[in-house]
Amino acid sequence: MAERMQLCNLSENNFEQCTKCSICTTVCPVAAVTTDYPGPKQAGPDGERYRLKDPAYYDKALKLCLNCKRCEVACPSGVHIADIIQRARMKASEGHRASLRDTMLANTDLLGTMANLVAPIANATLGLKPTKLVMDSVMAIDKNRTFPAYSRQKFTTWFKRHAAKDQDAYPNHVSYFHGCYVNYNFPKLGQDLVKVMNAIGYGVHLLDKEQCCGVALIANGLYKQAKRQGRVNVASIRKAVNMDHHTVLTTSSSCTFNLRDEYPAMLDLDNSDIRDGISLATRFIYNLVDEEKVKLVFKQDYKRRIAYHTACHMQRMGWQLYSIELLRMIPGLDLQVLEQECCGISGTYGFKKENYERSQAIGSILFKHIENAHVEAVATDCETCKWQIEMSTGLPVENPVSVLADALDVEATRKANNLTD
Amino acid sequence: MRMDTVIIGGGLSGLTCGIALAKRGQRVAIVASGQSTLMFNGGSMELLGCVDGKTVTSPLQAMATLPQGHPYSKIGVDRIATLAERATQLLADTGISMTGSAAANHWRITPMGVAKPAWLTLSENFSIQDLDNLPCKRLALMCIRGFFDEPNGMLAHGLQQLGFEVDKIEFTTTDITALRRSPSEMRASSLAKHLGGNSALQRVADQINSLASHADIVLLPSVIGQSDDDGYRTLKTLVNKPLQLVATLPPSVAGMRMQTLMRHYFRMLGGNYLMGDSAVSGTFDGDRLTAITTAKLGDMPLKADNFVLAAGSFVSRGLVADYERIYEPVLGVDVDADTDRDRWTSFGVLQPQQYFRYGVATDQQLHCLRQGKPVANLHAIGSILSGHDAVKMGDGTGVSLLTALAVADSITAR
Repeated sequence: MAERMQLCNLSENNFEQCTKCSICTTVCPVAAVTTDYPGPKQAGPDGERYRLKDPAYYDKALKLCLNCKRCEVACPSGVHIADIIQRARMKASEGHRASLRDTMLANTDLLGTMANLVAPIANATLGLKPTKLVMDSVMAIDKNRTFPAYSRQKFTTWFKRHAAKDQDAYPNHVSYFHGCYVNYNFPKLGQDLVKVMNAIGYGVHLLDKEQCCGVALIANGLYKQAKRQGRVNVASIRKAVNMDHHTVLTTSSSCTFNLRDEYPAMLDLDNSDIRDGISLATRFIYNLVDEEKVKLVFKQDYKRRIAYHTACHMQRMGWQLYSIELLRMIPGLDLQVLEQECCGISGTYGFKKENYERSQAIGSILFKHIENAHVEAVATDCETCKWQIEMSTGLPVENPVSVLADALDVEATRKANNLTD
Repeated sequence: MRMDTVIIGGGLSGLTCGIALAKRGQRVAIVASGQSTLMFNGGSMELLGCVDGKTVTSPLQAMATLPQGHPYSKIGVDRIATLAERATQLLADTGISMTGSAAANHWRITPMGVAKPAWLTLSENFSIQDLDNLPCKRLALMCIRGFFDEPNGMLAHGLQQLGFEVDKIEFTTTDITALRRSPSEMRASSLAKHLGGNSALQRVADQINSLASHADIVLLPSVIGQSDDDGYRTLKTLVNKPLQLVATLPPSVAGMRMQTLMRHYFRMLGGNYLMGDSAVSGTFDGDRLTAITTAKLGDMPLKADNFVLAAGSFVSRGLVADYERIYEPVLGVDVDADTDRDRWTSFGVLQPQQYFRYGVATDQQLHCLRQGKPVANLHAIGSILSGHDAVKMGDGTGVSLLTALAVADSITAR
């Protein structure tokens, strides 16, 4: 009886567990740099009490939320503060159409497909001052931003031409959710993953159908489209996990977080049967080594000093441990783990003209830490953090999988795992 | 994933133990479900403030009278002085500079203006060595206009009761006025974020210098220095009079800084701090705990040679009370608590409450007990321990620091 009564008292997102301690507001990167945003306690559980009474209490300032989830990570009472804020935004946006700019930024795959076709032109044009000024004034995409370069060849095209036929020969198999960034902007990361997985005896396979995970669609209010694409992805992942018995690997922390946690929390997509089958590649590889199922052999002469930045969504997932410990296995690598601070870009947020200055102000603490770490490169699991840190510090930023691929002695690793040519 | 030691809880005791172990070369992971109550600490540590309703002036002497079940008695009263010195040094190593002595308590000032016995206080905070011999006569209490986290009237009144002459001086600067646009933001932590730069500090100093020229000591709410004490030191050089800070209501800037510095130091030593994750269950093999499962790591449990339970008391959910019982929710270890619910509390909210002393049961070496038997590689430290009373005895932070160091010693002695 008593327990049933307590269950009845539970509400969505642990809303009623808030003790008003304000710890969330102390870690909010947006509230730290602007008084326009009331902070997560006010925007989340406090404001929700009013919004439950009357939706008219919705505060437009909620659009300033980065959805970095740092408030949730800090909350001692387990309140899903950011989810409350996102849900409120979602509810308030019903019946409103997203702007052309937001739709364009959010459709990373559509934009990517078009840009790949004309990559040299797109890259050159997007980098030109007149283009940037037009985008700034017409589209409200900040002129200081550099668009990530588009690749001439999609990852999937490369994979089908150069890798696909070899994959069945390996003793073990995984599927790969490459995401838009690997496919359109940076196929090398996908190639690095294939290189590492093959070296430890795993064949890599693409999903039947992969669409953009939709993280940017959610951030820009295009929920219906996000849900449509989510359904396609869940079906493909379901086949890979349940029929082919593959773990589905990812190399982007935000895609992973979206597929695993935001699908049920934001889009009401049930992924409970496949959630455990989706893993960041670093987590999967770390575990194989930890359980002594595979061995990694590194180049003798490898020597680098790099810093690791924990992306906000990575911290929300709690998986930075795997990337960090995997990198620590590399003998020649001097790894500096940075204190977790938001870089300020938050996907498409920092591209918008109205957010540019705030975005850079938020990131300034992290940039300072990076400068003080005296490193030659930064490693992080998030592609948008990569753009932001590269633009703001001038240092190259790499995914841990690429660092691993670079440090790995592929031939020796193949031998150590009993693979013959 | 295998560690040498896994610590459940990332507050004062968990971080202290983690730092001590990582310093000795151990691979350590701390699982921290959200920020800890360290965020509520105004910048002082207490060793022992009160025994049997009597104020303690010399904690080391008063230790001898503590009951057998008190964590200090379990550590061994003869070890306390050395451990206390080591704790002070460990805090200093992380960048937390505190003054005080375990031999003689000094007095910290609460935001409500009450003097309470303390062992260590941040060097920048106002504290009094001897209440019968005040350090000065005239205090200027700088009151920030619109500030939420300092009940100025009560604070001033409390200081007057102690024998000071207090000038309450309200002030503001352009930076502070800008913050008032969002009234919910007039909190200590928000001010700290916006008063960080040198020009903002100069504007505060200008106000103080023009308004508080007659004071012996200027007191300012603790609203500077979220990540280090550079801001305080800069402001001190800009203000003409001696400047000290006074604790605010929580979340406290000093507490946030202590948390940040300790976590940063732990990471620098190679420690893994799993922020926002929480331990959900443990796997036992005979008298040993072999692994814990966490909410985020899911099907990949954390294995270790040693485990430390530092999950805090009720407020941090290291202990849970429901309608029928009090229990430890993660590992299901034994607790010292009355089974009769009516005996948990006493009438009158300010009375000593039985439940303050409840906690997990341990043997003399602070091993947790499970069904009455000690778990060989599981220790408990800090507020989750039974037999002490942070509220009424003023021993909370001391128990956290010293049990953490004592357990780190036992773990590495093996």
